[in-house]
Amino acid sequence: MNSPSLPTVSPSLWTTRSSLARKTGTWRAAAPEYRLSPAPCLAACPVNARIAEWIGELRKQNLRRAWEVLVENNPFPAIAGRICHHPCESACNRQFHDEALSICALERFAGDTALAEGWRFEKPAAERSERFAIVGGGPAGLSAAYQLRRRGFQVTLFESKPQLGGLLRYGIPDYRLDKAVLDGEIARIVDLGIDVRLGRAIEDAEALKALRDSHGAVYLATGASLAKRVPGLDYAAPWIIDSADYLAAANSGSPARCGERLVVIGGGSAAMDVARTARRLGKQVTVLALEPENRLPAQRVEVDEAMEEGITFVCGAMMRSVEAGATGLRLRCERVDFKPGEKRGEFTVTPIGDPAFALDADVIVPSIGQNADLGRWRALIGAEGAVLGTDRSWRTSAPGIFAGGDVASMDRFVTQAVGMGKQAAAEMARFVLGEAAGGGFAAGATLPFADINTNYHPRAGRNAPASTALEERLRGFAEVQRPLAREAALDEARRCFSCGTCTYCDNCFYYCPDMAIARTDSGYAVKYDYCKGCGLCVEECPTGSIVMRNETML
Amino acid sequence: MENIDYEDNGFFHSGHVACAGCSEPVAVRVILNAIGEDAIGVVSPSCSAMICGGFPMSTVKVPMFHTTLESAAASASGVKRALIARKKPETTVFCFVGDGGTYDIGLQALSSAAERNEDILYICFDNEGYMNTGGQKSSSTPLGAATGSTPSGKTTRKKNVIEMLAAHRIPYVATASPSHLNDLRAKIDKAKRIRGTKVIIVLIPCLPGWGVADDGAVRTARKAVDAGVFPLFEIEDGVSYRINAGRKDASERIEGYLEEQQRYRHLDARQVAELQAEIDFQWDRLRQRAAAPERGGLTGARAGEPPSCAGPSAGSVPAGAAAVPGAARGCGPRPG
Repeated sequence: MNSPSLPTVSPSLWTTRSSLARKTGTWRAAAPEYRLSPAPCLAACPVNARIAEWIGELRKQNLRRAWEVLVENNPFPAIAGRICHHPCESACNRQFHDEALSICALERFAGDTALAEGWRFEKPAAERSERFAIVGGGPAGLSAAYQLRRRGFQVTLFESKPQLGGLLRYGIPDYRLDKAVLDGEIARIVDLGIDVRLGRAIEDAEALKALRDSHGAVYLATGASLAKRVPGLDYAAPWIIDSADYLAAANSGSPARCGERLVVIGGGSAAMDVARTARRLGKQVTVLALEPENRLPAQRVEVDEAMEEGITFVCGAMMRSVEAGATGLRLRCERVDFKPGEKRGEFTVTPIGDPAFALDADVIVPSIGQNADLGRWRALIGAEGAVLGTDRSWRTSAPGIFAGGDVASMDRFVTQAVGMGKQAAAEMARFVLGEAAGGGFAAGATLPFADINTNYHPRAGRNAPASTALEERLRGFAEVQRPLAREAALDEARRCFSCGTCTYCDNCFYYCPDMAIARTDSGYAVKYDYCKGCGLCVEECPTGSIVMRNETML
Repeated sequence: MENIDYEDNGFFHSGHVACAGCSEPVAVRVILNAIGEDAIGVVSPSCSAMICGGFPMSTVKVPMFHTTLESAAASASGVKRALIARKKPETTVFCFVGDGGTYDIGLQALSSAAERNEDILYICFDNEGYMNTGGQKSSSTPLGAATGSTPSGKTTRKKNVIEMLAAHRIPYVATASPSHLNDLRAKIDKAKRIRGTKVIIVLIPCLPGWGVADDGAVRTARKAVDAGVFPLFEIEDGVSYRINAGRKDASERIEGYLEEQQRYRHLDARQVAELQAEIDFQWDRLRQRAAAPERGGLTGARAGEPPSCAGPSAGSVPAGAAAVPGAARGCGPRPG
C-alpha cells in the first residue's frame, strides 16, 4: 500500500508531533525577569528591616522564622513595636488602596511572642579575636554590640548608669514601654556573651584614647545628656525641673516632689512623656509649644492620647517672662508664628501681635530637647556643632573611633539609633578586617503602588491596636497601647501587599499563556525558549515581583 | 488573596501559536487539565484550531478531531455515539469552538445537538467576532463595537445565545472568564459530572481584534465581569440561574472596561450611555432570573431534565445503547 504523500517538514518536527519543537521565544521583544525590589517600608525603615519578608512568615504562621528575620536588623522588636515612630506605615503602599498596614503592631506581636516563648539568639557560629569597645548602653550602643557579637567579635560595653538601656530605661515611661519588655530584650543581647561594665563612664579624651588603643575600634554612643536651655529662664530657680531629671526620677519609681500645676515647655516626645507622666501622678498639666498643634514634633498618637488624658495644650505660643509670687508662678506668654528651618531643629518664630496672655503654674519643666556632651572628647575628636561629625560610614575624625545615636545625629528616634548602631557595626567590622568602608545604605528605587495588582487584594480596613481605657490609664502606668490578638495579627499580616517580595502565589505560573514559567526549588524560572514576552505575568503579579526588560539581540 | 487552585498535569503545552498575551491558552490549559486524560476533542476552524493544532504538531495531549466550521456539535455527537458503540461511554467528548462557529455558522448543529441532549461538553471561546480571519463582526459582536466589517460600530446588539441554549432546557449552560480561573475550573468539574449537553461560553478578549494591550487580556476580561458586561453565571436545566460574579456594585459603570479597548474608542457620550443602558437591562434581567424561585411551577425530581434521556451519573451507566442520550426518544443509534 502506498503511503500518502506528507508535507515536507523536518523529520524532527514530524516525529515529535509535539509543539514543543516550536520555540515561540523567538517572537519576543521584551522579557520578564523576577526581581526583589525594596518595598517603601524597607526604604523608610531606620533599620531597613525586610518587613515584607517577616510579615510573609507571619502570614504563613511561621512565627519563629518571622522573628528571626526581624532580629537580623533589629534586636528590639518588642520595644520598637511599642515606641517606634513607624515611618514604614507612613510609606506603606496600602494607604493608597485602603489603609496603611499596622506594621508596628505586627512587630510588637512578633517581639512579644518571642519574649513569651523565651526565644534566644543563636550564639555566633565562630569566635573571632578582634575586640571592640562600645561606650554607651542605649539603643545605638546595644544595637552595635549585638551586631558585632553576632559576627563573633569580642565586645565590651561601658555604661555609666547602673543599668543598661539608656533613654529606653530612663527616658521612656512605663505606660509606653513596660520595663519587663526592656529587660527581656536587653538580657537576650547580653546573653550572646557581651562583657558589660556598668557604672563605668569614659570621662575624657584620655580615657577614650586608652580604650581605642586597647581595642580594634571604639563606638561612641553616649546619647544626648545635656538639656537644651530655654533662653531667659533661670535654671537655678527651685521651680524649674529639667525634663530628663523629672522622667528619670519618675521612671525609677521616686518622682520629684513638686507643686500641683505643671507647665511643660516643648512639643516633642519628651514633653509628652513628662506631661503624661505628671498627669498620672495627679498633676494639672499644660503643654506650651511654639509649633501649631498640627506640627508638634511628637507623634500624633502621643498628642491625641495626651489630650484624652486631660492635658491642656497651648500651641503656637511662647513664654516671654515668668514671675514668682506667693501663690505660684505667672507665665507671661504671647502667640507666635512658627516657621521650620531647613535642618531638623532649626526654626524661626515671629510674634503675631495678639494680646499677651498668662498661665499660672507651680513648676516649669522645660522639655525642648537634649544636646550631646561633646566637650569631654574635644582633645581627641574635633567636634564643631551640636553633634559629633561623622562620615557616611560613621567614622569620626579620630581613626578607629566611630559614633552614632544622639551623640552623632539629630535624627532622634529610638529606631534611628538602632539603625545607626547596625550600620556602624558593619563599618567597624570592615575597619578591623582591613576592608574598604561601605559608605551608607541606599535602598534604591522602591516599588510604586502602581505595580501592585490590587484586584488580588480585596479592600479591608486595618487591624489597629486598642487603647487601655482612660480611667485605668490615669490610675497608674499601665501600657496604653494594647497588643493585637493573634487572629487580628494574622489577619493584618494577610493585608500586606508584599511589595516587591514574591509570595509564591503561582499567579505567574498559571497566567502564562505559553506555560513558559517553571516552578523551581527557589521560586520560578522563565523558560525563554517559549516566552513570547507578552507581560501577562507582570500584569497579574499581585506583588510587583516581576519586571519586563527589553530583549537584547543575541 | 485567593490562590489559583488546580493541578497542571501537562495536558496542554508550550509551542502553540496564539498571539503573545492571548488569554485563550490560559483558559484552554485549565479546561484540558480539568477534563483529564479520558477525552476526545472536536475543534472547528477558529483560533482554538490554531492553538491546539497545526498539523503535524499538537499542543494537546488528548486526540483532537478538526472538523468544519458549521458542524462541531454534530461531529461531537457522532464521536460520542461511536465511543458508546465501542463501549467507552465514559470518555468525555468536548468541543472547542469560536463564537462564529457557535452564534452564527454552527448554531443549527448546536441547537440540534442540544435538542437531542447529546452528552457533549461544548466550550465556546467568545472573542465577539471573526477575529482569526482578520476581525469581522459576528452575531456575538456587541452593540457599538467597531470591527473590520462594522468600521463605525455595530448597530445591533449581541445575540443572547445563552438564553437560546437555556430555552433548550439542557442540563448546564454557564459563562466563564480567564480572569476567574477557579470559577472556570469548578464549572468544568461540574459539567464533567453531568450527562447531556453542557455549554460553557468563555469570554476571550482579542488583543488585535479589540485593540487591547499585550498584557491586558486578563485585566480586560476582569473588567467585563466587574462592570456587569459579561457576568459569570450558570443555568441548570434551563431554569435555575445562579450568578457567580458580576457587577461589583450598583454604581459600577462600563467606561473602565471600554477604555481598555480600541474598538469602542469612536463612541460618543450618548452611545456610551446607550451601551450602558443595554448592559443595565441585561444585568437587571439576569438578576431577576437568578432571584426567581428555582424551577418554579415545574414538576418532577429534576424539572429541567428531558424525559428519561439522561440516566444516572456517567460512572454507573452500563456501556451500550441504554447510555445513549436521547435513546428513549428513538433518536439514538441502534445497538449493533
